[in-house]
Amino acid sequence: MTENPEQEYAADESTDDPTTDDMLVETDVSESVAASGPTMSANTVVRAENINVWYNDEQALQDISLEIPENQVTAMIGPSGCGKSTFLRCINRMNDLIDAARVEGDLYLRGKNVYDDDVDPVALRRRVGMVFQSPNPFPKSIYDNVAYGLKIQNKKGDYDEIVEESLKRAALWDEVSDRLDESGLELSGGQQQRLCIARAIAPDPEVILMDEPASALDPVATSQIEDLISELAEEYTVVIVTHNMQQAARISNKTAVFLTGGELVEFDDTEKIFENPESQRVEDYITGKFG
Amino acid sequence: MARTDYQSSLEELRDDVLYMSELVAERLRTGLDALERKDERLARELIEGDDEINEMYLELEGDCVDLIALQQPVASDLRFIAASFKIITDLERIGDLAVNLGGYTLDAQRDLFPDVDMQRIGRATLDMLEDAMNAYANEDVDACYAVADRDDEVDAMCEAASELVVRDLIESDYLDENEDESDEELESLMQDVSRLLLTIRDLERVGDHAVNIAARTLYMVENDDELLY
Repeated sequence: MTENPEQEYAADESTDDPTTDDMLVETDVSESVAASGPTMSANTVVRAENINVWYNDEQALQDISLEIPENQVTAMIGPSGCGKSTFLRCINRMNDLIDAARVEGDLYLRGKNVYDDDVDPVALRRRVGMVFQSPNPFPKSIYDNVAYGLKIQNKKGDYDEIVEESLKRAALWDEVSDRLDESGLELSGGQQQRLCIARAIAPDPEVILMDEPASALDPVATSQIEDLISELAEEYTVVIVTHNMQQAARISNKTAVFLTGGELVEFDDTEKIFENPESQRVEDYITGKFG
Repeated sequence: MARTDYQSSLEELRDDVLYMSELVAERLRTGLDALERKDERLARELIEGDDEINEMYLELEGDCVDLIALQQPVASDLRFIAASFKIITDLERIGDLAVNLGGYTLDAQRDLFPDVDMQRIGRATLDMLEDAMNAYANEDVDACYAVADRDDEVDAMCEAASELVVRDLIESDYLDENEDESDEELESLMQDVSRLLLTIRDLERVGDHAVNIAARTLYMVENDDELLY
């Protein structure tokens, strides 16, 4: 992290295209982004190269390589235990929090390897927000839930404006604008999840990771979250893990199919995956003939 | 419904579409027989039996919609249902064209242009239909292309037959011989000529529908829309 958070926030506001420097332990503006990683497609935000993950002796991911494009929704599907959530957690180094987890390979965020020694995982997670399966608002007011991330980062700025904008982007503002001081726990499940999305986007991340964000919600709330995901993709790069294949088909531009053993079997445009996949194993999985 | 039931439903749909195609082919055969023998009884059976095909079409259409709505098919399953959905429309239309043959049989007043070999054209289109449905049943890509290739042959036969009718009408003595006939009889003659041309056109359309079936089958098997347009 930078030594002076106020300066860092000002720098964030000054550019629409944050550099990799934002997540360095010590900012080194002389470091070239292009020089720090392999050449990526113009619109690639995240690039994984030969990612392997083990939990103790058990391998959870095998040589995963893929590129996640900017301002699109990329879905990860596959059976339970196939490693799709593990891969998601590699992107913002959430696996660091699991003692038994060991990650090998390279994962670049805009050309900077997030596993380099000089990367601060906390700073990384500011650029790569995350929304979990069960809505998990803090036992605080709606306002404080959204402002929480800003406060712990000591960010300067008009919090009222950021909170309102975040709630609007999360399609929740109209429902809560007159009761921002009420507890976030008072909201319905769908509203709580949108509150969590507002909390994730308040620090203005580049990438939003979503781990089955609608699996605990009813169809109406699910539909609202799906609409929201499509809207968010206009400004953010969204990566979503879902067990619901129809959901992946409805909302994603790209789909990655992980199968048992932590193998990425196919990664392509969502239409291609669901209409004419290359792999017979993928065909068997998505048509229900698998296993 | 479990996925095993779903797979059974797909198999049932395939069987039902093939059964519908057999009925339609039989009706086309009946239509050609009625024309050939000027058999009014066969022609009436054909016209009265059209409801059976229409009802089957609606039932299978409903089955396809149910499968899409309830099972959210994807990949080869989706292509199979989408192709079947379109193929039953082609089959229903061929059924309608067979009914037309019955109508022409009943309405025709006289024998005209015996040189026009309607049965040969009819057999060619019937073969195309049967081959297209075999391609669907066996997921046979080569057979799809073969059906499409034969359409040119049928089109040429139809074009030659139509030209023959028009040329004969102009060059022959039909009109001269009948110049003393009343306007009503002349009108009747012209209606027979029109019916003959419509028969040729309808058989040519049977061939087109057979090509559509082959094209949908190719899409179903290979996700290839080359023959669709």
